[in-house]
Amino acid sequence: MAIKFGGEFEVPRTPEEVYDFLTDPNKFAPLLPDFQGVSVQDATHFNVKVAVGISYIKGTADVKMELAQAERPQRAQYKGQGSVAGGNVSLTAGFDLSPMNAGAKITWQGEAQVFGRLTSVAGGLLEPLGKKNVQKLIDALQAALKPSVEQVGAGAPSPPAEPSVAVNDAPAEGRTQSESAS
Amino acid sequence: MNPPAEKQNWVGKPLPRKEENRLLRGRGRFSDDVKLRDMLYLRFVRSPYAHARIVSVDTAAAEALPGVVCALTGAQIVSQTQPFIEIGPDPFARIKDYPLAVSKVRYQGEPVAAVVAESAALADDAAELVQVEYDALDPVIDAEDALRNKSVLHDEAGTNQVWNGVFEYGDVEKAFREAAYVINIDRMHFHRFSSTPLENNVVIGCWDSKDERIYYECNNSFPSFAIQFLAAHLQVHIDRIRVETSDIGGSFGIKITSYPQMAICALASKKAGGRPVKWVETRSEHITASAHGNERTFRDTRVALDKNGVITAIASRHIDDCGAYPRYEPLGCVIWSQVFAGVYRFKNARIDFSQAVTNKCPVGPNRGYSRMQHLWFLERVVDICAHELGIPPDEMRLRNYIRPEEFPYTTPNGCVYDSGNYPKMLQLAKQRIGWDEWKKKQAAARKEGRLIGIGIGTTLDSGTNNFGQSQIVNPGLPYSGNSQGANCKLDIYGEVVVAVGSCPQGQGHETTAAQVVADVLNIHPDLVTVRTGFDTERNVHTGFSGTYASQFAVSGLSAVHGAAQKLKTEMKRLGAFALQTKEEDVEFGTGAQGPELRAKSTGEAINYWGLANLVNANSAALPEELYEVTLNCRYIWRAPFKVPDKQRKYGNLTLTYASQLHIAVVEVERDTFIPRILDYVAVDDCGTVINPPIVEGQVYGATAHGIGAALMENCVYDAVGNMLTSTFSDYTPITAMNMPKVKYDHIETPSPHSYSGAKGMGEGGAAPVHTISAALQDALFAEGVFIDDSFNNADSLFRALVAKEISQAGKLVKVEKR
Repeated sequence: MAIKFGGEFEVPRTPEEVYDFLTDPNKFAPLLPDFQGVSVQDATHFNVKVAVGISYIKGTADVKMELAQAERPQRAQYKGQGSVAGGNVSLTAGFDLSPMNAGAKITWQGEAQVFGRLTSVAGGLLEPLGKKNVQKLIDALQAALKPSVEQVGAGAPSPPAEPSVAVNDAPAEGRTQSESAS
Repeated sequence: MNPPAEKQNWVGKPLPRKEENRLLRGRGRFSDDVKLRDMLYLRFVRSPYAHARIVSVDTAAAEALPGVVCALTGAQIVSQTQPFIEIGPDPFARIKDYPLAVSKVRYQGEPVAAVVAESAALADDAAELVQVEYDALDPVIDAEDALRNKSVLHDEAGTNQVWNGVFEYGDVEKAFREAAYVINIDRMHFHRFSSTPLENNVVIGCWDSKDERIYYECNNSFPSFAIQFLAAHLQVHIDRIRVETSDIGGSFGIKITSYPQMAICALASKKAGGRPVKWVETRSEHITASAHGNERTFRDTRVALDKNGVITAIASRHIDDCGAYPRYEPLGCVIWSQVFAGVYRFKNARIDFSQAVTNKCPVGPNRGYSRMQHLWFLERVVDICAHELGIPPDEMRLRNYIRPEEFPYTTPNGCVYDSGNYPKMLQLAKQRIGWDEWKKKQAAARKEGRLIGIGIGTTLDSGTNNFGQSQIVNPGLPYSGNSQGANCKLDIYGEVVVAVGSCPQGQGHETTAAQVVADVLNIHPDLVTVRTGFDTERNVHTGFSGTYASQFAVSGLSAVHGAAQKLKTEMKRLGAFALQTKEEDVEFGTGAQGPELRAKSTGEAINYWGLANLVNANSAALPEELYEVTLNCRYIWRAPFKVPDKQRKYGNLTLTYASQLHIAVVEVERDTFIPRILDYVAVDDCGTVINPPIVEGQVYGATAHGIGAALMENCVYDAVGNMLTSTFSDYTPITAMNMPKVKYDHIETPSPHSYSGAKGMGEGGAAPVHTISAALQDALFAEGVFIDDSFNNADSLFRALVAKEISQAGKLVKVEKR
């Protein structure tokens, strides 16, 4: 089951500042919804743990991330692969940065491919859950990039956890589209 | 003097099942009931991917958990075993099939590792600690795509095509040249579904390293086949493998293919120092990774008909999807041809048959397996032709049925249909459902805009295979004919005890075997003890023993009958000696002291205990000429088959042909598109009926199975090979709540090929699948919808009727009038 996402938003930071933020695992990873921890291997590899809750299925997703494309300050792309609640997930998340007015426009695309029994047990919930969590990540990114990049460095608290069952409407800020190909 | 013994004829009587006493009181003994000393529990670690390379398997964390005894990986299995025997010819004979994935996984749910622990819960926990790293590969989900070989599952084979063969008979091109009509059907599809037995697979394996013996308690339904695979794989002599089965809670063929799990349990036991290892399959495991039924696509079908709508030729290309590993399945490439012509008289046909592997669960025999796909195809062809030519479907069938006077009937591919009367079954079914009344109701309902259809399905249940047909698939295979063993003895205290090489799963073998023996010995069936379950050490099995393919009534009971006759002959000799009379003077019956033999001339009698005593405990009184009398009689029944002509693919492939004729009245609700069965009749002909309630029960069971398949049960995969229906919430097996009231009736056309006139039955030919497709076609033909798939639910009917995404007749069916 493939779930695809994409959208764009603007932030009052230069592309260089945004790029540096996005490619720093210690800054980027804590913004992931239900973040539990990160361990950095090297400049382009880190492992991140996030809590997962899909209805009655609770667990921890352990995802190996790789900064697969790093073209400062235009593009950063992460690839990840991990195990989650009886299944596996592979994902890509790419950010294209361009200068705009006094800040930067961030065009992003993501795709999550879910494998395993999870797709049968929770198949119908995966897409709305994915959409919700991606939106939370984008919201957190926007919030983090608003005041000063330095103020949301390593160790910043993660956004408050929310119940992960309902499907939120897209927020006013930013635009998100999703489609699934199954 | 006792009155002369009256012959009872227990065969044919509605005797209550002997098994009920045990099973209905919860006193059955199933494999999971068996607890052995020091028993361990096994849990599989299964692949979430449909197709991936295995980068690494790390069992260290699992093995470090207290209570975990050992773990197994594919790499460890390779070093200790040989790959499983492959049934198919090259190049698929070259593949390396092991019970745990070694370098690649090829379907979601494929076992990658196994963990063995002191308790089932510990094994569950430990399995979650096994770390497997995968490198995902492109999956192949569709069999037609698979044949393009863009992504190959088995590198050793170099292709995804397991087998291809053309079955051609008569003069097909001439028939098309001379046809009044030619109907072209672009594509039809028989969907993938499975069986959901109450009891999942269970294996207890114990490898006694001391004397190199392996013991199994399990519910495999074809153990004599399984041990042939296991002996070669585990590299032990076949006589060193003992398999015992107990009561089995349904199989429907699916439990034939549990030998990989049997192999793992034995190897795990060996690694655990000989402690018994039990594996109990969960329901999700069963649905995802045990075995499914074959999925088949029918392409480029052309049908030639004369001006009266009589089919004169069929040409088509069939692509069978056997999932990730062929295992039993190359046999499915020929088994369908047992019913090559279905119930119809056409003589010219060409079927180009291919089988492909895909990244889905391996398929296995599943109730009516391989034949039901073909029978559905033929029934769709007949029905579509009838609708396109404006011939009523009942009339169309009568014009094309094999006629009663033509039996025994030889089909174009050399199969000999033993007996049957399809027009009579149709007449009876129409009468029971009230055909004319329903036609009037249907016409009135259509004026109101309601979508009601009436469908007929006529099918065959071919029973008692000629295993020589396997040589059509692979000429090098050493199988032909069919046989079954039985033992009938008079025990030391005069008890009549029967053992058979079958492993019943609800078919009532204890009862029917007792009926047969009771008739031979002229005693009550309650006086016959039938050993339930299978045991290699009873020494009554042959290489074909088990319970599958609708054969017990013929092969099993013929073996029982033969053994009982041998016992009777010995008893008569012994009785004549004991009663000091001639054998012709000895009669069998029951007296004041139980079953006995008596001299008609004098009235003197000896009961069974006395008779058995002469052989077993009082043998000094026995004259030398009676030393060969053992009262322990083994009989092997052999089917009168010849090896088929492998080049022409011609020969008799099955001994008996039971038939079923079902009629369904189905309405598709306009608002919800839910198909609902308004009326249903099932008429069965399995020759001489041995036990009417048992036959009727099996007809109901097969009907439920077929209705579930037609409307509710579908193994759905997404584009990357995730199975989306791995629980009962999604797979939705049929239950009593979904069953319509089924009207049952039967006729009897005794088979000349079995001693009793009985034919094998129980699989039912998936008649409801064909029947419901026909009824839906009748309901929706005027809407321009063509029923091109065997599975139809509200969603697919919406997509056909409203969204017009699928099943559009104008695109899929073309009629040429010559």
